[in-house]
Order: sequence, then structure tokens, then C-alpha cells
Amino acid sequence: MGPRYLARKVIQTIVTIVFVLILNFLLFRMMPGGPEGILLRNPHITAETKAAARARWGLDKPLIPDQLVDYVEATAAGDLGFSYKFRGTPVIEVIGARFWPTIILIGLAELIAIVVGLALGAQAGWKRGGTLDRVGNGASLILYSMPYFVIGMPLIIIFAAELGWFPTSGMLTPGAHYDSFLDQLLDFLHHLVLPLATVSLGLIGGYSILMRSSIIDTRSEDYVTTARAKGLTDRTVLRAHAFPNALLPTVTVIAINLGYVVAGAITAEIVFSWPGLGTLTYDALQTRDYPLLQGIFLLISVAVIVANLGADLLYGRLDPRVRTA
Amino acid sequence: MRLSMPARLARFAMATGLVLSVGAPAAAPVAAADDKVLRIGVLQDLDSTNPYGTILGVGYEAYQLTYEKLVGFGQNIEPIPAFASSWSRSEDGKSWVFKIDPNKKWSDGTPATSADACFSWQLDLDAQKTGDSVGAGYIDYALGPNGSRVTKVECPDPQTMIIYTDDASNRVLQTYIPILPKHIWGKMNYKQIGDDKFDPPDDGSGLVGSGPYLAVEWKTGEEIRFKRNPNYDGHKGVEDEIVFRFFKTNESLVQALKAAEIDYAHNISPEQFKALKGEPNIQVVNGVLNGWTELGFNTYGTGTGKTIKGGGPSTKALLDPAFRDALGYAIDKQKLIDSVIGGLGEIGTTQIPPAMPGVPGHPTWHTEPTNIRTFNIDLAKQKLDAANYGLDSSGRRLDHEGKPISLSLVMPDSDANYAKAGQFITDWFAQLGIKVSPQVLDSDTLYARMLPPEGGKEGKADYDLFIWDWSWGPDPNDALDVFRCDEVGVSSDSLYCNPDYDKLYDQQLVAQTPEERQAILDQMQQMFYDQAPYHILYYNDNLDAYRTDRFGGWQNQPANGVPFMGGFDTWGETQLTDVVVAPSPTAAPSGQAPASGGPSTGGSNPPASGGTGTETSSGGIPVLPIAVVIVVVVVVAGFLAMRRNAARTADDDEDE
Repeated sequence: MGPRYLARKVIQTIVTIVFVLILNFLLFRMMPGGPEGILLRNPHITAETKAAARARWGLDKPLIPDQLVDYVEATAAGDLGFSYKFRGTPVIEVIGARFWPTIILIGLAELIAIVVGLALGAQAGWKRGGTLDRVGNGASLILYSMPYFVIGMPLIIIFAAELGWFPTSGMLTPGAHYDSFLDQLLDFLHHLVLPLATVSLGLIGGYSILMRSSIIDTRSEDYVTTARAKGLTDRTVLRAHAFPNALLPTVTVIAINLGYVVAGAITAEIVFSWPGLGTLTYDALQTRDYPLLQGIFLLISVAVIVANLGADLLYGRLDPRVRTA
Repeated sequence: MRLSMPARLARFAMATGLVLSVGAPAAAPVAAADDKVLRIGVLQDLDSTNPYGTILGVGYEAYQLTYEKLVGFGQNIEPIPAFASSWSRSEDGKSWVFKIDPNKKWSDGTPATSADACFSWQLDLDAQKTGDSVGAGYIDYALGPNGSRVTKVECPDPQTMIIYTDDASNRVLQTYIPILPKHIWGKMNYKQIGDDKFDPPDDGSGLVGSGPYLAVEWKTGEEIRFKRNPNYDGHKGVEDEIVFRFFKTNESLVQALKAAEIDYAHNISPEQFKALKGEPNIQVVNGVLNGWTELGFNTYGTGTGKTIKGGGPSTKALLDPAFRDALGYAIDKQKLIDSVIGGLGEIGTTQIPPAMPGVPGHPTWHTEPTNIRTFNIDLAKQKLDAANYGLDSSGRRLDHEGKPISLSLVMPDSDANYAKAGQFITDWFAQLGIKVSPQVLDSDTLYARMLPPEGGKEGKADYDLFIWDWSWGPDPNDALDVFRCDEVGVSSDSLYCNPDYDKLYDQQLVAQTPEERQAILDQMQQMFYDQAPYHILYYNDNLDAYRTDRFGGWQNQPANGVPFMGGFDTWGETQLTDVVVAPSPTAAPSGQAPASGGPSTGGSNPPASGGTGTETSSGGIPVLPIAVVIVVVVVVAGFLAMRRNAARTADDDEDE
């Protein structure tokens, strides 16, 4: 694709990110209440101390332009500030420590959901009306409509609480000591199974349905009929002709979804007390920890927007019909 | 729930579980594989390991494991030796002398002396003198005019500390100031320690303290881990390590307890309490809570005549004690206890809970008032009529201005029980012809809504009734204080103002003996009950549960309380023993642990910077994800490649 196309897309991306940044900033501060509500909920605190805290947090200056300008300047310089709740810790550190648990859980779940969901959907759509289709489609619809905690809680009750095969929550065993890295890895994987199953199941449904309908559309295309007329096996037609074309709309959805990976499936994380960005966001919202919220949403916005950019570019490559000059 | 320093309790936490994990990868703590680890599950999420930075109950429990106070609390909240081994009061009562054991050591081996104590107390005194607070401000206020009124501290020699105060009470012995090691913290002043950006000095080896267990690793959102302090000179619990595990929901907390992933669950619901009763190897405990749940009134303008434009109470009836009193007869507190908290609580009366500890020789400050109200709707109606709040033709109760009385009822979302209680109250008041509109808001929004102009220029105090709770420290002053005129715009949410009440408060502050104080407190309690700025609904119980198959020696603090997180001290953690009897279907806690002896050579390691101190690691996670992702990607790619090859070779030759 042409350099002009690429450049245009990148600039669009940057502009969108800046816009979202500003919007995030304003939205959070428009929420009723402020950090001093929770953080200064001290019956003995004096009005002076409260005022000093507000000054320290820069909340006594006018919202626009002072606070906004301060924020944009600092962010551009890479300074995300200090958390209000986790006093003494920079926002980057707070987020950094919670980043990987979410990436692993949601990233792997997306991977599994993509592979399994697309394969299932393609097969179901190809043999439309067949057993796999009828059973699979029903199951997919059910899973697609279930929120993560509705999937997760029965899994915990059956496989963790009753059968005891897996831990009930958390990322590692409380207070465990590991003799080797392998032990720790195994413990981690042991804890990963149920949350991973939960999020994967939640995503598979959606991808499967999407792929199925896409394949059904593709089946009736002329080039598929041609391929069959040429004597190619059913299998080859699906794999080499129908599937790639049916993939196009799905790719867009997947790419955008990947951006949300960093938001972490909040409800899934909460059900499993998984120490990721999802639970962090929930907690930061409760305490109006503005710097932390801004940092998290900056991360999410960038991820979604970049994933969008990726989808655009990928689409440009996959589909020769898209003009990319 | 608003918590008074220092008794923060988990009910507040249910909404605000935040965990901070400082993400520097570090090795997992070195410990022998057969170390005994006590795992405590909580619903709060630790916010800071800095004693002056944390505002949560779990934070208080955490810092008290690492840092001793000058004087500790024993099983019945009586003063016991901690950093100081003994103390005495001067003849004239104007100073206290504290002695420190010459063999006492910090965890890093450095001798612990009075210099550390003077340094630690001086931090708070410095702040008090300038009218400032140290950090979150919960600890230093105790030295001020509503507390122990300390004027000076002196350390003439390494074993002696003298504290000067003319306060006649022994509040000095109930101070939560952590004794910090001067050789680590000495270069800092109170402003630095309390600062939001404060990153305590860290030499990488964990926190240094004189307490029984030192914080060594903290992963936010997950857990904080403590290791035994080899130089601790107090009673030694059998556990070598303690872990606080942070949970997001009640259900996962209890499931983890049942699955033996944790040993102790703090703050379970009444339903879970009942469900766990028959479980093998699990013991439930309902302990007294030094606090209460209340139905409060917005009485803004009482005593001052002030009004708020566009806010304030919706009717002047709320300012009339006769009105509030009458409503009290329309509340069936026993029914609330039975239906809302599963029968696990006591009927509420005065603002000094029965669980508020007294002082040695004077076990309780609580006095039941005279003329306790009964639940009687007809009587309530009569009293309203007698106070000139009659009904109009459509059965609506009118105030003295002729307006139908319609009250807003606001509640925080931090506890589902508030809404349940609110529903009952709405129905009861409806029978009186008073419309109540309940609304649940998140705590922060609610706080902003309840703020009066004295608390912030945008404050409108736009509410009539509210349900919330409080829990308190060991001295009644905190609980009495909330109803003083000065507290409007600070801690008061009833916005009550009664100069007579304030006069009594000032008198009891300088009472010379507990008996003298009690006489005044009796008057204050009666006045509170009669005037009713709150109707205290109940003193609800603390509900915890623990396993009995790994540890024994479970002791409650106080004796009718709970073992851990009771809000006073970390005494319970030092009392555990091994299980003596084999795990059996009926929980059978073993007997006393062999005493570990008295004053020992407490050693401490260099405190890893007070606050976050410990570079909490994520336990090597950054390597893990890469490994896991690579494995999965390789497997998946390989699988796909295999399928592609198989399909190709199975195909007839054809053009692609």
C-alpha cells in the first residue's frame, strides 16, 4: 500500500488518541464527588488539611485550562503522575504490575477463541443445517449472551468448590513457596485454567456466529461455484477460497476486539479475583483515583485505536479490492 | 462506612478493594518449604504499607505487624508492654515515664532505644504544632486537644522516654503512633513521610521493624506477605509467615476458606455465617463490633438557625427533636436485626457502643438510657399528632408549615444491608403518612451530596435521612465528637449542633477520674438518645470464620470479639499454636501455645521505607507470560501448519 495511505492513517490515529485523552480527562472530573471523599474520609481531618490535599493534587485550579493543560503536558512527557489511592506509587508502576496478568488471560483467551471459534463457525456455516451447525449455533448463541460471571461462577462451583480440581480464585496459591520456576509456572497455569475457560467460552460464541454467517454469504459467491466446477474437493474450496474471503469482516471485528484486551474482562477478573487491569479499573473508579484512571484509559484508548489502525492496514493487505494508494 | 481512626473495618472495604503492587521483579521471598504460613483472606485491598498513608483497616493490621506501638493492647484491650516494657505516671499526673528494655533490638540487629520512640512521636507533635496532619491524618490527631493533649516528649537516656501531658485520662497508652527505626527514617520529616509521592528509603531487604512479623513482599491486588521477625521480644505465634490475601467478592472469600486455600476469612455475610456453621474443620465467630449502623437525620440549622439555599433538610420537622423522637417508635429494631443481619447484633441505643472498651477498673462506658422506645406505630402517630404534625385529608402527614412531609433517604452501596433496612423503614414511615424515597449511591457520590457549605463551597447537604455506619477506636471521644457543632463540615453528617452537648463534651475531656467522666458520659448518652440526631439501629456483629485443621490457639480480642482484624491490635496473630488434636468434624481449637517468654531482644531489619517500602515483586511474572505465550503460539501454529499440510497432500493436484 502506498506511503500516503499509511501516513494518513497514522496521523488519523494520533489525532484520535489526543482527542480521547482530553475527553477522558474531562469525563472523570465531571463525575460527582472527588478523591477527597474517599481518601480524606477522616473524621478528624481539618478543613485546612483537606484544602492542602486538594492543592497537592492540583484540584484547586480551574479545570480548564489549567488542569487540562497540566495534564496534557505531563502526559506528553511520559509522566502519568502518582496514584491518589496507592499513595507513594507512580501510576506507571501500578499499571505495570497489573498489566501482564490481564494480557495473558485475555490474550490467550482471544487466541483460543479465534482459532476454535473461527474453525467451528466456518465448519458450521459450510455444512449449513448439519448437526454441527444446529448444535454449535445454539451453543454459540447461549455463550454469546452470557456475561462472564454467569459462565465463571458455575465453573468455580463445579470444578473448584465441589470437585476441587482447580483453585477457586487468584493467580497463585496464597503464601506459597516455590522450589523452582517450574513449580511457580505450574501453579500459575493451574490457576489460569478456569478464568481462561470462562473468557474463552464467552468469546468463542461471538466469533463462531460471525464466521458462520460470513461463510454462508461466501458460499453463494460465483467464485466458489467456479472452484467447485473445476473439480476441487469440498475441503479445498472451503480452505483456499471461501474461508479467506469470509475472514475479511471477521478480521475487522477481531482486530478491534484485541484492542479491548487491555481493558480486561472486568467481570471475569472480579469473579476470580484475578489481579489484572479489570479489577484495577473498577477499584480506581470507586475511589476517583484520577491519575490512575487516566493512565488506564490512556492505555486502553491507545490499544483500541492502534488495533483499529492495524485492522485498517490488515484489511488493506488482505483485500485487493480496497484502494490503498 | 466511615471508619474512625484506627478501627477501619472491612465493610468499608468491600467497595474499595485496591491493591498496590510495586512491580519490580524480584525473587520470591526466601523461605524454607516447610515454613508454616498463616493465610488470612480479606475483602479490602491494601493501599499503602506506610502507616501514615493507609486509610484502610487492612492497612492498620499490616503496619502493626511490622511496627510496634509504644504500648500494646492485650486481650481485653488493657495496656500491655510493646515497644516500652513498663511505664508509670508522675505524682502530679502531668507526665508519664516509659522504660525501654536495654536488650531490645530492631529486626536488623540495631539496638532499639528511646531515641526511636522520641523520633516517632516528635513527627506527630511537629505536625500538631503547625495544625497539619501527617499523611492521611488518622494517627497524629490523637495527640491533640481531643486526645491525649501531649505537649512534649523527652528522651534523657536510651532507656527512658518522658511524655508530658496534663490530660487526666490514660489515652496516652492508647496511641497508635508506630515506632519507626530512627536509623532508617531519621532523615525525614513529617511532611515528607505523609506526602503522596513519598517513596520510603529502601535497601532492598524488606521492612525493618520491632513488631512480630515484617512485611517483605506486596503484590497489589493479590497479597502482602510477612515474615517472622527473629528479634521480636513478645509472645511468639507458631506461624513463620503471614499472608493477607485480597478478595474481590464475599463468595470467593468463603469458597477459598472451604477449599482450604486460606485459613481465615474476615467479614463474611450473615448468610454465609449460617451456612458455614456445620462445615467440618471450620469455626465461625461473631464478635462484638465497636461501632454501629444508624438511621441519621439531616438536622442542619439546629442551634444555628442557618439554612442552605437549594439544599438542606426538606422540612423543618427534621430539626424538631419531638418529630425525630416520634419516628423512633416506628422502627422495629429487633425485626431489622433478625431480617437484615440474621439476628447477629444488638439493639442500638446510645452513641457509645457496649463494645467500646473501658479502662482498667472501669470496664465499660456504655449506659443504657431511660425510656427506651418500643416499636409501636399507634404511639408514634399519637406523638406526631401531639407535636402538631397532623394528617391532611389524603392521609399525608403535614409539617408546621403545612407541607406534606416527604423525605429522601440516601444510602451508600458499600453494603447491601443498608438498602434492606431502608426498605423496612420506608414501609414503616409510610404507615405514619410520611413518604420516604430511598436511593442508593456510591460512597463517593454520597459523600459529595451530604457535604454542607461548611465543608466545601459547593456543598448543599441535599438529603433528609441516611443509613450508614461507624466504627471506633478505644476511646469514646471519637464517637462523642461527631455530634459537636465544630464537626459540621468535618465529620458530622447529622449536622447537629447543641451547645449543651458541646459543654458536656468539654467537661468530660478534663474529667479527673473515670467515675467523674462516666457521670458526664451518662448525661451525654441520655441527651443523645432523647434528641436523636441518629436512631442507632443496631450494634452489628463482626462475622469471621477460620479453619481449625492447621492452627490452634485461636484467641479473640477482645474476649467476646474476633481473633484478627478486630480493629485494636495484632495480638491475635501472636497467639496461634499448632493444632493439638487431629482435624475432626467438630472444630476443636487446641489449647494455649507455650508462652514464648517476655521481653526479648527484639531485632529489626532496616525498615524498607515506610510506605511501599518493599519492592513488591510480581513474582517473576514478566518471564512467565513470554514463556506461556510462546508455548501456546508454537503449539497453535504447529497445529495449523499440520492441518494445512495434511489437506494439501490429500488434495488432488490443482491450481490455487
